[in-house]
Amino acid sequence: WQKVLYERQPFPDNYVDQRFLEELRKNVHARQYRYQAVVFQSGVVVQQLCSVCVFVLTWWYMDAGMLSPHGLFGAALVSSLLGYVLFDAVDGGAGRWASGRTRWADLKSTLVFAAFTYGFSPVLKTLTESISTDTIYAMSALMLLGHLIFFDYGANAAIVSSTLSLNMAIFASVCLASRLPRSLHAFVMVTFAMQIFALWPMLQKKLKAQTPRCYVGVTVLFALAALAGLATVSSVGAVLFASLLLAISCLCPYCLIRLQLLKDNIHGPWDEAEIKEDLSRFL
Amino acid sequence: LGAGRPAAHCVCMVSDFFYPNMGGVESHVYQLSQCLIERGHKVLVVTHAYGHRKGVRYLTSGLKVYYLPLKVMYNQSTATTLFHSLPLLRCIFVRERVTIVHAHSSFSAMAHDALFHAKTMGLRTVFTDHSLFGFADVSSVLTNKLLTVSLCDTNHIICVSYTSKENTVLRAALDPRIVSVIPNAVDPTDFTPDPSRRDDSTVTIVVVSRLVYRKGIDLLSGIIPELCQKHPELHFIVGGEGPKRIILEEVRERYQLHDRVRLLGGLEHQDVRNVLVQGHIFLNTSLTEAFCMAIVEAASCGLQVVSTRVGGIPEVLPENLIILCEPSVKSLCDGIEKAIAKLRSGTLPSPETVHNEVKTFYTWRNVAERTEKVYDRVADEVVLPMNERLDRLMTHCGPVTGCIFAFLAVLNFLLLAFLRWMTPDSIIDVAIDATGPKGAWTKQYFCGKKGRVKEELPNS
Repeated sequence: WQKVLYERQPFPDNYVDQRFLEELRKNVHARQYRYQAVVFQSGVVVQQLCSVCVFVLTWWYMDAGMLSPHGLFGAALVSSLLGYVLFDAVDGGAGRWASGRTRWADLKSTLVFAAFTYGFSPVLKTLTESISTDTIYAMSALMLLGHLIFFDYGANAAIVSSTLSLNMAIFASVCLASRLPRSLHAFVMVTFAMQIFALWPMLQKKLKAQTPRCYVGVTVLFALAALAGLATVSSVGAVLFASLLLAISCLCPYCLIRLQLLKDNIHGPWDEAEIKEDLSRFL
Repeated sequence: LGAGRPAAHCVCMVSDFFYPNMGGVESHVYQLSQCLIERGHKVLVVTHAYGHRKGVRYLTSGLKVYYLPLKVMYNQSTATTLFHSLPLLRCIFVRERVTIVHAHSSFSAMAHDALFHAKTMGLRTVFTDHSLFGFADVSSVLTNKLLTVSLCDTNHIICVSYTSKENTVLRAALDPRIVSVIPNAVDPTDFTPDPSRRDDSTVTIVVVSRLVYRKGIDLLSGIIPELCQKHPELHFIVGGEGPKRIILEEVRERYQLHDRVRLLGGLEHQDVRNVLVQGHIFLNTSLTEAFCMAIVEAASCGLQVVSTRVGGIPEVLPENLIILCEPSVKSLCDGIEKAIAKLRSGTLPSPETVHNEVKTFYTWRNVAERTEKVYDRVADEVVLPMNERLDRLMTHCGPVTGCIFAFLAVLNFLLLAFLRWMTPDSIIDVAIDATGPKGAWTKQYFCGKKGRVKEELPNS
């Protein structure tokens, strides 16, 4: 028996040969994950959750008057400078050299941003006066949730949009800042949001690529700091947040690996062929 | 005719796809029906109305076609509720004394409806699958589930290639022994070579296909500039229409190939041969294909075929007539260059030789003969009674889907009982059998009315 149609073969048409389905392949593209690798990769989600937590806590303290804007601004400035030095130090300036960006350009954009935010902070302060505080809280919560959903965690998916994610976070920060007592508070809050949502993930990414061990340490410290901060506000919240972080970094990887075993994906000659080349070069 | 053979069958072909629509399924249904009529069976075709073409029409040899007034939903496929077509289809099945319902194409909702009703009415069912389907995305998971439901109690399934059989068996979780492989065919007299139409000072590559993604037109848009730059005497003729035409036009514009790449637009079926005979090499870039009639038609016209190695294509032509490539620009270009080298060195067999070889491979008579064997086999089988059918649905299609469709089958059964009470089978008129040599179609008075009807049955 041959798998050909053009020859008449001495078998009935419904003959089933031993070679039937011999080209069937299973789980061709399935990947075997290692538990530790998945836990390591889940760090970026933990980091982002903690960033949101720290941001909301800071706002909470400012709103309650327990944190002065000068104090926060000073701390943020110092940590930003530290981060800036670190950003170039981890890869020995290779990234900067590749992008061709000068320090003068960095300084310029920082100054422009700070000046504009400072100038507009009275406007930000009164921007949402006519909107009820509950609406503001609901909107901020939604926006921060959206920030977490659309954030670029490194997955190659259609839903990922770092621009949208950053915009949502800044929108939330503007909303929350407008509920603070003075315009200086609003200015400090928005700059802080910029640092924690725009600059901090960039540094994290570089740390993760260059010094994985250091990255794990930073993640753990950051998570502990966020938890400790949350514990001072609400102990129940701290416990819940801790269990969320544990679930994401330990339980979810375990589930992924267990479910991976159940994968039953079949492939064969009937599959639609994929065009693997980039054909746009011809156009 | 007919000596010692079991009794003739009365077959009802059901598909959403039939003339005036054009395509592989349409011509398959028509040609198979004609050859079955020639073998002495009664055949009728049921499809949905196409524009003004509704009601009953008679085609050559008295092939009766019912164009039913059902709403078309998407891509020429009717909407389905599983119930609304029962009164009409029951009426036809009873009037025509149908014994076997033969549904075509898994994309046709009407075919699945007819299978469902035929099983409720206790008729034998046969299904022909013409296409391949994947398993990976949500839409194929859902359609495969529906196919499982539709085929789990169908008597016999026909596929057009061995790959298609493997695919269907996996999709619908079937016993492979109730699936037969009967390839498509082409009419070799329609596709004869004519070397005088070729321009032998150049090398002409012909592509005839719908210009859609699944036919690999993106690959073609890479092959054209790549090869035209290397071989200045190369010409392309592209027949067919579709959404990907625009990228071919862009490529032609970009590389200034207006005099070397001709885009002919949509072709009528009878024009295909006149396009094919102008070329030396036929290129098929499909990404998925159950059988691929196009390469058989091209080989029948004496062209050297270069094709991607996907689906059932490797089964269709012997190695000396086809050059198989991987679905990538580089591999296809290599394949075409091999063909050009053969052409230049004169080692290609002459178009006549190729035609004479190909014309023995696939004929509709052979398809009809093998389909008839399936009918004979099915006629001896029993149709599952209602309780066993429900049992099969619930055990075979999973707990949720199985129960839902078992419930629908019961409803269908009740609806049928109601219809039988309203108009008993005994008071439905029996239709005149118009088909075949003994049918009313060829009777004297019938010819008298329609003078242009000619006796063209070879066996009568």
